[in-house]
Amino acid sequence: MNRLTLTDVSLKVWAVIVFVFLFAPIAVIIIYSFNEGRLLVAWDEFGFGSFAAIVTKPAITDAVLVSIQTGFIAALIATALGTMAGVALARRAGKWAPAFLILLVLVTVTPEIVDAVSLLPWMVFLGQDVGLSMFDNGIVRLVVGHSLFATAVVAYIVRSRLVGIDESLEEAAADLYAPPFKRFTQITLPLVMPAVLAGGLLSFTLSLDNTIVSAFVQVSGSTPWPVYVLSAVRTGLRPEIAAVSTIMLLLTLLALGLVAYVLRRAGDSATDIAKTVGGG
Amino acid sequence: MTTTVEGRTAPPRKAPSKRPRWLKLPSFALAIPAWAWLFAFFVAPVALVVWFSFGYKPGIFGTHANDVLSFDRYAEALSPTFFTTFQNTLWVGVVGTLICLAISIPFAYWLAFKAPIARRGILLAMVMIPFWTNFLVRTIGWQIILAPSGILSEALQSIGMLNEPLEILYTRTAVLIGVVYNYLPLMILPMFVAFDRVSLPMREASKDLGAGRWSTFMNVTLPLAKPGIVVGILLVYIPLMGDYITATVLGGAKGNMAGQMVANQFQTAQNWALGSAMAVVLVLTILTTVGIAALVAWLAAWPLRANQRLVLGDKS
Repeated sequence: MNRLTLTDVSLKVWAVIVFVFLFAPIAVIIIYSFNEGRLLVAWDEFGFGSFAAIVTKPAITDAVLVSIQTGFIAALIATALGTMAGVALARRAGKWAPAFLILLVLVTVTPEIVDAVSLLPWMVFLGQDVGLSMFDNGIVRLVVGHSLFATAVVAYIVRSRLVGIDESLEEAAADLYAPPFKRFTQITLPLVMPAVLAGGLLSFTLSLDNTIVSAFVQVSGSTPWPVYVLSAVRTGLRPEIAAVSTIMLLLTLLALGLVAYVLRRAGDSATDIAKTVGGG
Repeated sequence: MTTTVEGRTAPPRKAPSKRPRWLKLPSFALAIPAWAWLFAFFVAPVALVVWFSFGYKPGIFGTHANDVLSFDRYAEALSPTFFTTFQNTLWVGVVGTLICLAISIPFAYWLAFKAPIARRGILLAMVMIPFWTNFLVRTIGWQIILAPSGILSEALQSIGMLNEPLEILYTRTAVLIGVVYNYLPLMILPMFVAFDRVSLPMREASKDLGAGRWSTFMNVTLPLAKPGIVVGILLVYIPLMGDYITATVLGGAKGNMAGQMVANQFQTAQNWALGSAMAVVLVLTILTTVGIAALVAWLAAWPLRANQRLVLGDKS
């Protein structure tokens, strides 16, 4: 029964090749973060100089801080808006739902570069012509730009989670005279919590990763990390960039492990978690 | 001890709201904030860009003007200079998506059916790790690997497969490797979920009815997993077409993509009208190609559907 056929073996070999492919550039970045040379791409010798150099360069730490700050606020906004929208779509879909879904789909399929070139004149218009000076603020611009796609993604995840859950619990609460708001906070919200967490986490990482929209809407003085790296691609990459990436990867893995732990405590299996995070 | 319930009136099915009727929220109330937000920061700005695309660039210092409306910017965007870039983008988009598909099908199949069940979660998380690493940084990783004096080049030379340094960086091939890498997890994940939903009994039934592995895969597993595969294709193709980061890092002058062209018009050339027209053309290209692909897939499945239709009752 468990005899290994040629197909099984070749599938396994293929899987190993794919994993090597997926990890190759990450491994390279981690290794090169210990490069003592002046330029990232030219290996000189092993050392920790690049990690020490991070602290002495305020531009780098500032950029990372801007990214984290933006990611946090953008994730909060996207999660709040997306959760409400997802609940409405799953529980109270009426005649408006198809039109709203089309809007969400449009947001997801529009290439980021189109969002980017649209937001730039729009921010300038809002900030200077309309006189809403908050849109001249770098963080506000970045948060707005990062929250759009993320809102749609959170709405999808929350909706697909809630569609799979029977409405009987909410009906029971209604029968027991729970007012709508209490019903939402005490029954619906706990039910979708894994999806909300996964959506929030995904929004945060999407924001940290966002380069295109950020490069367009950013205001000098609040440059996020990816835009800093992008400008370094043009002027010359230094090993510090790899060092920061290594640290950020470690932190991301830690955060992911924490979320997986929380979700597992909440009763989801590992595959379910991955599915939720993957939007299935 | 028994209590009769017949005498009591049944409780009302829905709790009556104590609030006056005019305070009751309509069904879409919860969606209003998201709707307003997306309208203010997505619909309005994109509409503005569509409007710009009908205008022109007034003089050296202006970015756009709309007092004379025309389709001239579209003609300009599709002129030979820029058209080759659109062609190039389409080539990278289609070939890149196909390569992702070819890599993902066996891999997702292995992950869903062959990988040890206990380790499936961690393996899936491993697929996502690149996805959680900064897009730009992992592309830079490829720049290091593919450089003429880089790891791959040295390795291939030392085993004698190459006699001279690898000249792949800053070509279309490098861009292709980069985009396949960057979007592969987006194809694997929905495909895994789709395969995972195809239950074992279905496949066993197929086997019991005498179908071989290949036949079971083609006639049972793959058709049932189709929705997930379609999602994967869209998730890869759409962002890939608009990508310009990968092309900037790996493509150099030879591997230009439409996204870079749009960005250049806005950032360097300061011709917002032309840039807007290019952005609209890019979106239309994506929508048209997805539409054509859907139509082709539907037409191709036509004979198959007719073939597999179950005819009940003998007509003779």
